[in-house]
Amino acid sequence: MSDVADATTPITSRHDPRYEVVMYRHVGIDGAWTLDYYRGHGGYASARKALTTMTPAQVIDEVKASKLRGRGGAGFPTGVKWSFMPPVDGRQRLLVVNADESEPGSFKDRYIMEDDPHQLIEGIIIGCYAIQATKAFIYIRGEYGLGYRRLVQAVEEARAAGILGKNALGSDVEVDITVHRGAGAYICGEETALMNSLEGLRGNPRLKPPFPAQAGVYGLPTTINNVTTMTSVVHIIERGADWFASMGTEDSKGTKLYQISGTVVRPGVYELPMGATFRELIYDLAGGPKGEAKGFFPGGSSTPPFPWRDEFLDMPMDYGTLANSGSMLGTGGVIVIPKEKDIVDAMYNVVRFYAHESCGKCTPCREGISTWLPKMYQKLLAGLGTREDLDLMEDMVRNTRGTAFCPLADACAMPVQASFKWFRDEYEYLVDHGTPMYTKNDWWEA
Amino acid sequence: MKVTINDVSMDFAPGTSVIDAVFAAGYDVPYFCSQEYMSPIGACRMCLARVGAPRKDREGNWILDEETGEPKIFYFPNMMATCTTQVMEGMVVDTLSDDVKRVQNGMVEFTLINHPLDCPVCDKGGACELQDRAYEYGTGESRFVFDKRHQEKHHPLSEVITLDRERCIHCKRCVRYFEEVPGDGVLDFIERGGHTYIGTLEDGLPSNFTGNITDICPVGALLDTTSRFRGRNWEYDHTRSTGMDDAGGSAIVIDARTGRIERIKGALNPEVNKTWIDDGTRFGHEYVDADDRLRSPLVRKDGELVPATWEEAAQVVRDRLGGLSGKDIGIALRADATLEEGVAAKALAEALGTGQLDHAPRPAASVVPQQAPATLTDLATADAIFVVGDVTEEVPIADLRIKDALKGVTPPEMMAHGVPIADLRLKEHPVFHRERLSVAAPYRVDLMKHAGRTASYPAGGEAALFAALQAIAEAQDAKAEDAEAAAVQLDDGQRAALGMSLADAEALVRGLREADNAVVVIGGFVLATRAAAAAAATFAKAVGAKQLILGPMANSYGLELLHVGPSHDRYAYPGMLEGARALILSNLDPAQDPDVRATLEQKDFLVVHDLFLTETAKIADVVLPARSVYERDGTTVNLEGRFLPLQAAPVDAGESEDFVGVVGALGDALGQRLEGRSVRSARRVLRKRFELDPAELGPSGELYRPKGRPAPRVSIRSDEAVGGNVLVTPSMLRVEYLERNPHLLALSGGSRLRVNPADAAQHGLGDGEAVSLRVGGVVRRARVRLDAGVPAGLMLLPTLPEQPVGLAHADLATLTRDERELEVAG
Amino acid sequence: MVELETVPPFFADKQELLDEILGRYPEYGRRSAVMPLLREVQHAERYVSEARLAEIGEIVGMHATEVKGVMSFYSEYHGEPVGTYHLQVCSTLSCSLAGSDELYDYLVEKLGIVNGEVDAEGRFSLQKVECLGSCGSGPVIQVNDTYYERVSRSRCDALIEALSRDEVPEPWRARGGDNEGADKADFLMHTVAAGEGETR
Ligand SMILES: Cc1cc2nc3c(=O)[nH]c(=O)nc-3n(C[C@H](O)[C@H](O)[C@H](O)COP(=O)(O)O)c2cc1C
Ligand code: SF4
Ligand code: FES
Ligand code: FES
Repeated sequence: MSDVADATTPITSRHDPRYEVVMYRHVGIDGAWTLDYYRGHGGYASARKALTTMTPAQVIDEVKASKLRGRGGAGFPTGVKWSFMPPVDGRQRLLVVNADESEPGSFKDRYIMEDDPHQLIEGIIIGCYAIQATKAFIYIRGEYGLGYRRLVQAVEEARAAGILGKNALGSDVEVDITVHRGAGAYICGEETALMNSLEGLRGNPRLKPPFPAQAGVYGLPTTINNVTTMTSVVHIIERGADWFASMGTEDSKGTKLYQISGTVVRPGVYELPMGATFRELIYDLAGGPKGEAKGFFPGGSSTPPFPWRDEFLDMPMDYGTLANSGSMLGTGGVIVIPKEKDIVDAMYNVVRFYAHESCGKCTPCREGISTWLPKMYQKLLAGLGTREDLDLMEDMVRNTRGTAFCPLADACAMPVQASFKWFRDEYEYLVDHGTPMYTKNDWWEA
Repeated sequence: MKVTINDVSMDFAPGTSVIDAVFAAGYDVPYFCSQEYMSPIGACRMCLARVGAPRKDREGNWILDEETGEPKIFYFPNMMATCTTQVMEGMVVDTLSDDVKRVQNGMVEFTLINHPLDCPVCDKGGACELQDRAYEYGTGESRFVFDKRHQEKHHPLSEVITLDRERCIHCKRCVRYFEEVPGDGVLDFIERGGHTYIGTLEDGLPSNFTGNITDICPVGALLDTTSRFRGRNWEYDHTRSTGMDDAGGSAIVIDARTGRIERIKGALNPEVNKTWIDDGTRFGHEYVDADDRLRSPLVRKDGELVPATWEEAAQVVRDRLGGLSGKDIGIALRADATLEEGVAAKALAEALGTGQLDHAPRPAASVVPQQAPATLTDLATADAIFVVGDVTEEVPIADLRIKDALKGVTPPEMMAHGVPIADLRLKEHPVFHRERLSVAAPYRVDLMKHAGRTASYPAGGEAALFAALQAIAEAQDAKAEDAEAAAVQLDDGQRAALGMSLADAEALVRGLREADNAVVVIGGFVLATRAAAAAAATFAKAVGAKQLILGPMANSYGLELLHVGPSHDRYAYPGMLEGARALILSNLDPAQDPDVRATLEQKDFLVVHDLFLTETAKIADVVLPARSVYERDGTTVNLEGRFLPLQAAPVDAGESEDFVGVVGALGDALGQRLEGRSVRSARRVLRKRFELDPAELGPSGELYRPKGRPAPRVSIRSDEAVGGNVLVTPSMLRVEYLERNPHLLALSGGSRLRVNPADAAQHGLGDGEAVSLRVGGVVRRARVRLDAGVPAGLMLLPTLPEQPVGLAHADLATLTRDERELEVAG
Repeated sequence: MVELETVPPFFADKQELLDEILGRYPEYGRRSAVMPLLREVQHAERYVSEARLAEIGEIVGMHATEVKGVMSFYSEYHGEPVGTYHLQVCSTLSCSLAGSDELYDYLVEKLGIVNGEVDAEGRFSLQKVECLGSCGSGPVIQVNDTYYERVSRSRCDALIEALSRDEVPEPWRARGGDNEGADKADFLMHTVAAGEGETR
């Protein structure tokens, strides 16, 4: 907490007395990315604890007991995933950290890698130890140049200091890390596409089974986890599963990095215990919407948006509640949609993203999502759409639901369907009048 | 595992894909991306169905449906791609409900939105999977009102394959094919999403097996350029036969229309070629239709060859032969003659009373393994393979079967509907276990790309190579018995003979003997001397490996088995050319060598049976028009000893006859009913001789294993290693027909003289230059190709039937630039 | 590929770099190096030519075609040269709500080039890109490998002017939330106003 004294350092939710910032405690602080800083603030104690006082199985048990769920979007229980690794059989085992973070509205992993890369490395050491992997890859999206450089630097520092290497932290455990940089492809965040990309293949998703634990990267047993899944582990080991599990709701434990963007006063990343409500995030922390809002994406642009209603604003941000309400927690990236942004325009923006990012492997996504759907939106926005076109869009999108090879097509189709459900009036207005209900087109302030 | 498909319940082996279960049950789901013998990838999403399965509770008991008391079926929330889903115990599959129909409809609609629907002008029309499926599973209308994707419609991927990018439906069969089957990633998807298209950056498609993509493309996107715009599918006659360009015996389909061969396609023989064929076999048929094809017999009258009827020609033959003693007459067939032709030739020789009978080319050593013969399936399932030679050029299909072995997936079990559509053991981006393959050759051969260990031994040094390996094997034996025994000791000569390091050679030998299924593949360079072949056999035995011998031509094995050979080595083909007073030559052209020509001109009588007026035919007394390999009924025996059927395609070949026909006509003229006068009578002989019925061969042919000791074989050459400065190499493309195969000629750039760049500089030769050179008497025209994989001091030339594989002497003084620039089409 | 004979190989004089990159992956995973190698070339030459694709293929054991397949899959490698300063404007939803469309239009006007174009001097090129993970601090311009966030008109002007002089400004810090550099007092007041006390 002492870092906060300086008025030039960033302000965080750590200033909100209700919350304790854990994973973001060093984020925003100049120089926090150095090994000296990290060690000076207690860094690597957790990894040391794991390596010296616990067996791999105990680490897995602790993570299981913490009820940590993956922070990459799907929310799969991390400890359970780790226990899927086959028994040690002499084959090299791998840990892959998914740092591809490309889902619109998500930007939590970025600042960890930029400002606190050692925290991630510490998490990797613990994770590798738990699953008995000697090698980890961090797959970082190509655009994160600063994050890449900071990670590479941190890995080098850690190697030089004996934190990584044949005898990590002076133990007899081997851990090394390669940072692999992507080059601009959202789909490479999908774990099987990521593995292909890492292997030097085109980044198309691959078939499961075999699951990564059986045959992942290079056909070796592999575990894939998100960046903040790994950093959560640091604190679970340090402070115990009970501490982590004491926060959150029934099915979602611990703290989580929520992101908020769109038209709010203070967009950014906020670390909150799971189960905090959208209202808390949007109003208490982000300062509320700028102007009138009409809806929001609860967890990144692939999660079906909600209209701006109390029942949704007061919903706890956890996995189960959102899943039961027809949406998903996703990466926890809230995007606030202002009233003045026409929904058709907003959804065209979203559709264009998925159209651009479709890998092209499967028919419904390549032809439906990537080709036909954006053309339909263009037609509507050109004022040429009809009511029949709306029916056609709904029917066509329905044909992409649950039929594609990977979840990307659904990631586009579901929000589109939700927009039809909640905001059909705006679609109808547009086709009936030839112009959108809302036409504001100057969003650039200052 | 019990699975219920709609109303049919059946048992399936674990690992079976649901799509195969559906087909086995007699139902259908549409599919585009799955393809026999390739990895299922679940890309087209056409094969979706509703799938459910029972579940077990924590105690391991089935969760029961409260109403029925039966295990409750839990349906997957999404439709499942049946090609990538495995059967489960108690699984239920629904392919008929409205929900399934709706989704299949939707997929057809998506697939068609960017498809040009130019079926009326598309070569695939009538045989197009998309056309069929859209008809069966689509609504017949499109709601897509926008401009379709416009892309290149006539993109030449190579000289023989044309790509229509608009028609592509992104099934990825072609891309996967290259990656998984020949293992050459020469075609790939470019860009992503809706912009994805297939393309190559290579110069053409550098692989020997490119044409197969035209067979597997479900639409008309990839077309065989040789047959483009030639006809509609329903106009073709499809004749299943056997490829006769090499000893592999691949199954082919000959598509003919109005008496002309339009294209060759691969056909299924699971034991031999699966469905793949090499480009030589596929595209090498155009010569059959060449303008200068002989269509009737010719008889020399007043010094001129003039057309005659078969009866006239046969009379002339009878009259002229009648004046000679039978034993002065020589008869020789090319080694791709059928067994029936062999029977006919033997019968004729017997009737004439001559021992001067042979087939050519015929290597010094036997092509029938004397022990532990390997099948192609043995090769495809081997865990250690040692190749000596250039197998890709000798028997291309063996190259692909070796790659099966490197992938390590055993051939699938056949199902009720044939080859499994989706064999889930096959994975995309397979790992080729190159450590299983070692390749030795005197120069850099294509298969070395995939080999874990390679050796370049000195040309002609095959016997020494095997002897050195044998020495290693023996030393290892000694060591195994007595740990104190001396380590392997090789002298410098032996080391040089290995063409690889001693450590590599030791590992090779150890690898072969430790393998469960080792195969030694013995190529033509080894067969060139008996000593080398014997050393190879000894070595194979020592390491416990099976042998696969690559005979030089399609029926080398069968003709040897049938003993279409001389009674004495004096009478072998080269000897008969010298010694016989009269000759009957079928599809052989020895007069390309001017010295031989001079000898032949002195003969009392010369009969030539061939497709064209060859150099030899030009000096013949009687010329008989021959049927091509596509126009013959008969039987051939591939390198495994597998009897395979040939069926004549309905091709207009004038009055051409095969050698059976020749013997039939001569027999009539001689007033004798010879045994080989017809295919039927020849087959009677074969049935007796081999105890199998060539008329009743199954679709995979029949593997024949000789009982007892084989008949003694008369060697063709004295068994001395010949030196030379030119190595005649095996060739997938048949050089003798290359100039009449315009597309292959363009693809290959013509016959190649491969020269080491340093040598080329010394001789002042440039890449691509047309030259002529006298090699062992034959004047060869070729195009210079600089190739660092050729050892210094050696040049490589592809084989001709008259110029068998092995070292030969070339008179470098005759090496001249060819003024008559080679015609290169395209 | 004809080019290959005339252009000296890119990695010929960079053995150390090459070894380092190849050393990141196991020998059986040599192909993994294709992306870092493409990036080196893209970075140095501002595009990846066919000759380079072939060269990289040689190094990692792929056909040039496969390297092209990989390269063209990603949006950060280019088949045609980009400008010295490649301006990548995020146009995805959050940025769009922060004015990225207007920012893009402004750049079009200012530079006289549109999406996918390079200016006559080869100094600037412009590309509309998708979400850069800067959604809380949009609009954002990625210049080559550096993010400039919360780009206002004046910041945009300053940035372009500096780049026109070949000066590359330090990126300014522009963040939000727990990684924020904004006004502290304001925030505290708000929290207090929210009137809740206990730490959860
Ligand atoms: C289209 C798509 C994109 C994804 N992108 C990411 C990503 O950028 N980062 C991430 O961690 N997970 C992403 N995921 C989820 C991963 O597939 C995977 O579930 C996750 O990395 C597992 O890590 P976790 O268990 O720690 O959450 C994506 C999934 C899909 C379907
Ligand atoms: S849904 Fe299909 S085309 Fe889209 S990204 Fe996934 S695999 Fe690729
Ligand atoms: S998805 Fe193409 S056949 Fe199953
Ligand atoms: S929307 Fe622009 S960075 Fe995410």
